[in-house]
Amino acid sequence: MTQACRSMPLSKAVLMFASLALPATVVADADLDQRMSDPANWASQAGDYANHRHSTLSQINAANVKNLQVAWTMSTGVLRGHEGSPLVLGETLYMHSPFPNNVYAINLKDLSFKWKYEPKQDAGVVPVMCCDTVNRGLAYGDGKIFLQQADTTLVALDAQTGKVVWTAKNGDPKIGETNTNAPHVFKDKVLTGISGGEFGVRGRVIAYDLRTGNKVWTAWSTGPDDEMLLDPAKTMTWSDGKLAPVGKDSSLKTWKGDQWKLGGGTTWGWYAYDPKLNLVYYGSGNPGTWNPSQRPGDNKWSMTIFARDLDTGRAKWVFQMTPHDEWDFDGVNEMVLLDVDHGGKRVPALVHFDRNGFGYTLNRVTGELLVAEKFDPAVNWATKVDMKSGRPVVDKNYSPGTTGPDVNVQNICPAALGSKDEQPASYDPQTGLLLVPTNHVCMTYEPFQVEYTAGQPYVGATLTMFPTPNSHGGMGNFIAWDPAAGKIVWSDPERFSVWSGALTTNGDICFYGTLEGYLKAVNTRDGKELWKFKMPSGIIGNVFTYQYDGRQYVGVYSGIGGWAGIGMAAGLTEPTAGLGAVGGYKELAKYTTLGGTLFVFALPAPATQTAAEGR
Amino acid sequence: MRVQLATVASLLTAVSLVAQERAPQAKSATTPLYTVRDGNKVDPRTLAGWKTWRALSCDRCHGQAQEGLVGPSLVESLQALTKEQFQTIVMNGRIEKGMPNFSGSPMMQANWEGLYDYLKGRSDGNIAPGHLYPIDATGATSSK
Repeated sequence: MTQACRSMPLSKAVLMFASLALPATVVADADLDQRMSDPANWASQAGDYANHRHSTLSQINAANVKNLQVAWTMSTGVLRGHEGSPLVLGETLYMHSPFPNNVYAINLKDLSFKWKYEPKQDAGVVPVMCCDTVNRGLAYGDGKIFLQQADTTLVALDAQTGKVVWTAKNGDPKIGETNTNAPHVFKDKVLTGISGGEFGVRGRVIAYDLRTGNKVWTAWSTGPDDEMLLDPAKTMTWSDGKLAPVGKDSSLKTWKGDQWKLGGGTTWGWYAYDPKLNLVYYGSGNPGTWNPSQRPGDNKWSMTIFARDLDTGRAKWVFQMTPHDEWDFDGVNEMVLLDVDHGGKRVPALVHFDRNGFGYTLNRVTGELLVAEKFDPAVNWATKVDMKSGRPVVDKNYSPGTTGPDVNVQNICPAALGSKDEQPASYDPQTGLLLVPTNHVCMTYEPFQVEYTAGQPYVGATLTMFPTPNSHGGMGNFIAWDPAAGKIVWSDPERFSVWSGALTTNGDICFYGTLEGYLKAVNTRDGKELWKFKMPSGIIGNVFTYQYDGRQYVGVYSGIGGWAGIGMAAGLTEPTAGLGAVGGYKELAKYTTLGGTLFVFALPAPATQTAAEGR
Repeated sequence: MRVQLATVASLLTAVSLVAQERAPQAKSATTPLYTVRDGNKVDPRTLAGWKTWRALSCDRCHGQAQEGLVGPSLVESLQALTKEQFQTIVMNGRIEKGMPNFSGSPMMQANWEGLYDYLKGRSDGNIAPGHLYPIDATGATSSK
């Protein structure tokens, strides 16, 4: 315990003090805080509230990782894309699956099942999921495991028994509303979002009481101020080189007529929480219909980072990255909270790698824009972000909204799935670097007139995707990023997009998985490959680590799918199917096939050591 | 072959279908349902029908090549469906089978006959699956 405290990242220490200082009525979930503070656990999807995906464990390190071997495996019983990761709490590992979203509690003592939860869901939800039937994992808090089912039911299960404690319904699949996101437990609430940006769904985040499942607040991404929980005078945004109030009807004014009601801005990404500021951070997705000509205006607040008060949902600040989207550059990717040196000062920052190809660093207290630089040099749709206005400077040669419907715009970089999609980065506090799984894919984009029918796709664009021309020929890179300077420190080329979440550890190593199925360990400082292992199926899950009985383990799901792997997962063959991904990733079939297995690795254990380290 | 119209046989079929089943406002019995060149260049009415197909995401249930997925194959269905039956289905839906009611769609209201022509062309095998272009264009799609 002493050692754990000494090696605890600063954010966790701050968090503990912050929770002590808060009034009794709004205490943090002490159960979750305590479990997060012990690096033996993997108590939340990112391991902490700040989305660091970093572990202080170092038994497996740069010197010995070459000896890593399979410790145990478990089938999930499902053959679709496996995103997210299990949770580990003490002697129990909680494994989840894609639709039908089974949950298994596994006893680490003997690898037996403690309980199983296998929900019955209407299979009618599957055709209204745009990009495979993925689920990004479970959350823990207050003695409960939270599962966000595809059919928009949020379920609280007793962590000991698997019995349902409460359920809440946060959407309607009949109008294309589904869920793929992980729920997030912050303090006394569990937050969830909604998917369906390709079905005219209006995005929102919903906060439920952790104990009862009662709805506390709903914050919409588009529409009237009161429904968005925006304060025209107090909610701030970066404009003209300073922070200014958003003003009255800041969303409504940027849409034509009632288009905001189909306005997208869905909320299926990775949220973060700063206990000291009591602010929750998340991003909103693409505006409704991919045909920009049907929705003139900036389409606020799609493609936006929100900072909201956790207790009330009130927005403290907003920042729109891609006004009037013409490329499907959703703003939902993870919000990573860390401190950076900027202008000679230590600044509490938020770092975000957007689909649009820019890595943003903002002051997370105020919303001030500090850095916005390309994290893939191939990005061509915008020449830069204007630091005064915060807006991208769009190149008209790559602007489907400029040329209009039925014109096929060529060679836009990145493709719609962005220079990076939901696959989360890791922050290594030892080097100050972010380790980022990225896409290196370009596209053609032909928008067309579309009409809304409830429950039908509402897309309005035909796409093809291909590896970035005149580059290394691959479709991805794994990079290290300096968030203060906005610069790539090193970059490892990959054959396919890296669609797996990264993990860094105090062992100076970083893990990530590849679509063709390699789990790799590289040196955090220079990206040099130290170890790799070929899985039966491609990896789109996030790497996690835990310690049990004195040994450190590293694990990841093997199971191809997701947007990039949708052709294989759903059996599609037309090149433009899967919103263009089927043709783009057709080469995957040469390297991998469907699967659904949890893999867990460890160093070989000397017999004497195992006996001595019982706990 | 530079200009590939519908084959004589299917042209006759098309003509006879129109003669037997045309609505009062339908095209004259001597006009083919659709005109196609090189498999993917079509007359304006058929093009508007295909754009309606695309705008309403009919491929989601009937397949990108109309081969049928959760919905029936329209390559087969259009062999038997009359134009009146087709109109009834798209305007009223078959809710119990999952077919939405498209009567609220301005594009469907304006273009349902062109959509019928397009699907007949797919069913006859004269129109290719995928993207269609105007027959009077130079042949190249407009692009940047």
